[in-house]
Amino acid sequence: MSVHDAAHPYRIYWITWVFLLVVTVAMLGAELFHMPRWFLVPFLLAFMMLKAIMIGGNFMHLRFEKSNLAFMVFAGIMVTTLILFLYIAPESQHVLDRTIR
Amino acid sequence: MTHDAAVMEAHWGGGAAPFGASWQKTMMWIFIVTDALLFSGLLCGYAFLRMASPAPWPGAQEGAFAIPFIALMTFILITSSATMGTAVGASRLGDRRATLRFLILTIIGGAAFLGCQAYEWTHVIREGQHLTNHAKGAPFLVNPWGPPQYGQSFFLLTGFHGSHVFSGLVILTVTAIRTALGKTPAQNVEMAGLYWHFVDLVWVFIFTLFYLL
Repeated sequence: MSVHDAAHPYRIYWITWVFLLVVTVAMLGAELFHMPRWFLVPFLLAFMMLKAIMIGGNFMHLRFEKSNLAFMVFAGIMVTTLILFLYIAPESQHVLDRTIR
Repeated sequence: MTHDAAVMEAHWGGGAAPFGASWQKTMMWIFIVTDALLFSGLLCGYAFLRMASPAPWPGAQEGAFAIPFIALMTFILITSSATMGTAVGASRLGDRRATLRFLILTIIGGAAFLGCQAYEWTHVIREGQHLTNHAKGAPFLVNPWGPPQYGQSFFLLTGFHGSHVFSGLVILTVTAIRTALGKTPAQNVEMAGLYWHFVDLVWVFIFTLFYLL
């Protein structure tokens, strides 16, 4: 922690707060102004991940922890979710096809 | 140094602090990861229902929810996370009064969020979406906005998240009382903070994936 951070120990939380609010407003703006779907979906997903990283890194202090802890948390959740989703996505298409038929 | 002692000293050998954190913090993180996997399963289940739905899924501005109201809920939760972070910082500096003040602000924020969620559930139920429909004997099958899975996903995702907010409030209240009595070490405030930020983190995903997309 730098001397400047030590003088303003709460600064990081309120800077993160402002950043999260700005990102949230940008997401709402994209939704309310009816952006095209091809733009909206990746935009919202990217900003969602950005917000998650800010909360995990600054509010939950993961960026100040040892990298193996941050890796365990991030990789553990993301890899499991990705595997689960990749198994589920094709199956949902089968169910939809059977329902329509 | 014996082989066993060398293993105990190694980072991955199960030494006293393999992640450079206290055992309390390590266990809290393991709990958070497992809890995150619960929500991951719920969100993947929601994705399955949505992708397998033959009826078109209502968009953000076609559903039952007023997006400005959901934005207000998000603002409240993000703000309560900032006050919680400040409480953790204050407890590290040994400033008990500031810790207590910001813990109370966090509790107020959490209670306001839960109040908004109760209002939202009441509104949705009055509009015709029910958890069960005894009259027709068909649970979950009443939904005025489109596919019935829409309502199921709403109640399940926000219900699980709301229950986490509620348990977070209980933890924060106990922490605040113990702080007022001078019985809470800084580490306990940090543990409560980790849980509260996790609740905020989950809302980021629900807000985007359920309400906006």
